[in-house]
Amino acid sequence: MKRREFLKKAGLTAAGVVAAPYILPSGRLFAATGSRIANHVVLCLFAGGVRNWESVGKAEGNLMPNLLNGNESISPDIQFGMDPLPAKPLSSPLQNLGTLYKEFRYNEGPAGHYAAHSVALTGRYADTAINLNRPPEYPTIFELYRKHTSPTQSPLNAWWVSNSLGPYPYLHYSTYPGYGSLYGANYIQPTSLISLSGYNVLGNMRQFTSSQNTSVEELRNFLDKNFSGSYDVNSGGITNAAGEYVTVRNFLRDLLANAAAGQYNNPWGAGASMNNDMYNIFFAEEIIKKFQPELTVVNMQDVDVCHFEFTSYCNNLRKADHAVARLWNTIQSTPGMQNDTILIVVPEHGRNAQSNTIIDAFGRYAVDHTAIDGGGDQTSREIFCLVAGPGNLVNQGTVVTQQIGESIDVAPTVARILGFDSDIPSEVSLPGQHLAGAFK
Amino acid sequence: MQKMKYWILWVLMPGLIQSCKKEEIYVYEVNDVTVSQTGAYKPNAKSDNEIISIAYTDLFGATISQADLDDLALAYKSFGDKRMIIDMIILNFLNDPTAQIPTDAEMRSNPDQFIEDTFKKFLVRQPNEFEKWFVKDKIEKNGAITPDLVYYAFMTCNEYRFY
Repeated sequence: MKRREFLKKAGLTAAGVVAAPYILPSGRLFAATGSRIANHVVLCLFAGGVRNWESVGKAEGNLMPNLLNGNESISPDIQFGMDPLPAKPLSSPLQNLGTLYKEFRYNEGPAGHYAAHSVALTGRYADTAINLNRPPEYPTIFELYRKHTSPTQSPLNAWWVSNSLGPYPYLHYSTYPGYGSLYGANYIQPTSLISLSGYNVLGNMRQFTSSQNTSVEELRNFLDKNFSGSYDVNSGGITNAAGEYVTVRNFLRDLLANAAAGQYNNPWGAGASMNNDMYNIFFAEEIIKKFQPELTVVNMQDVDVCHFEFTSYCNNLRKADHAVARLWNTIQSTPGMQNDTILIVVPEHGRNAQSNTIIDAFGRYAVDHTAIDGGGDQTSREIFCLVAGPGNLVNQGTVVTQQIGESIDVAPTVARILGFDSDIPSEVSLPGQHLAGAFK
Repeated sequence: MQKMKYWILWVLMPGLIQSCKKEEIYVYEVNDVTVSQTGAYKPNAKSDNEIISIAYTDLFGATISQADLDDLALAYKSFGDKRMIIDMIILNFLNDPTAQIPTDAEMRSNPDQFIEDTFKKFLVRQPNEFEKWFVKDKIEKNGAITPDLVYYAFMTCNEYRFY
């Protein structure tokens, strides 16, 4: 072999050895588009309809002292409507650990809870024709993450922790062809499941030995092979694969046993102040500690009491704020997520400028949320967004007072953080923009 | 006119020849068989409440109370992996001492009957010969296979979730 030919072949071989691990079965290189900002995202939908006036506007004092700087005292006329809460979990408000967009917008579509949740999770605005009885039409951020991350991610890495049932279970996967339950998130509504009644119906399972379980598998596989009925793959929900299935089932079993033993009666020492939002965040923390998911979405909605009781709305804003601070502490004390997690906190929509006619015990008028395209009260489109994370990744202590960012920007920001933004195919590409200004 | 008659006859001739052709009947040397439903066609998924209440009735021989159904349906709706929740519900049913499950001795004394009853109870059909042989072979060769284990496998297979 001539020297030149030898060098050429040796060079090609070396290049092949280096490139081979990065070549997908499709023949595409992924390394160039797979760079991540962080390996974990926790998206907290500070939902239920939060008006900027009471949150970042502090019209009733600083109701969110764990998120926002400032010692403004709470309006005297509603102070007696505020429940006692445990000491502040954080030494410094979260806004100092991130970028606060004070004039974020829910720009289009109806200011309805499910529609706006859907916007945050699909990155697309919905119109009034949105169907509450079926999953979103376009892929959720869970499906985009699981399908377009290399290698494809398991549902253990994607969780949707919802504080209520109704249509919200639909948000863990879409009906979009090629996506759906195969790439959906593990969905859980903890407060409906993890309870004494939940334990009574699920917590006392027949135990088989491992060899017996093998026999079960053999029999079941045989029966499944003989059943060739054609059915909608989405009808059975998402599926955890064999090994992970046992892990998740045991996790549920343990949660149920703990609930039956009364271990979750007062987990934060908040006593009777503990509301559904706080419990939802508490169980999201249990999931974070157990699985360290790469993508966790958790919501709160108790502030929606504002339709009837304005003072309770303010009270629940304080509780939601406290819960987010707890969530941050859990993230920062969980190995694998500490200093490698971006927390995004954003309401799904705001509330009206105009009150309704219902007066609470403190003489305050209740407030709805009525914006629709071309009508309603457009103040319910005004929200905030906080992007917090380690100082080497996010711009900490930054406050954006101009009108920058909107609800459809949340999904592309998640995609960019987890490094699959460039791998999303054009037919389902996200119309929003990555919130680049929040990151270094 | 005469020419026209010949013309019409000429045009119709192929059809007349074809229609007069004697039908041939082929007889093959095979026995008559009765067609039965084996690999069942069940295109519809049972609803959340249906699968829970049917499972209860299959195991306890009674209709589930509304209160119990509500508790179970709430648990079912609260978790995304439906297979896992059904799995957990069924394992709880099987652990209930009032569940109507044959004893191990009953199963092993007449496995053919046990297998046929199990297919009818859970899959609402007769097993085919291969299914009978496969399940019987498993039972006979493995002493650790219990009736509730067989029930568990049937109640968590795909076919059980459809009708």
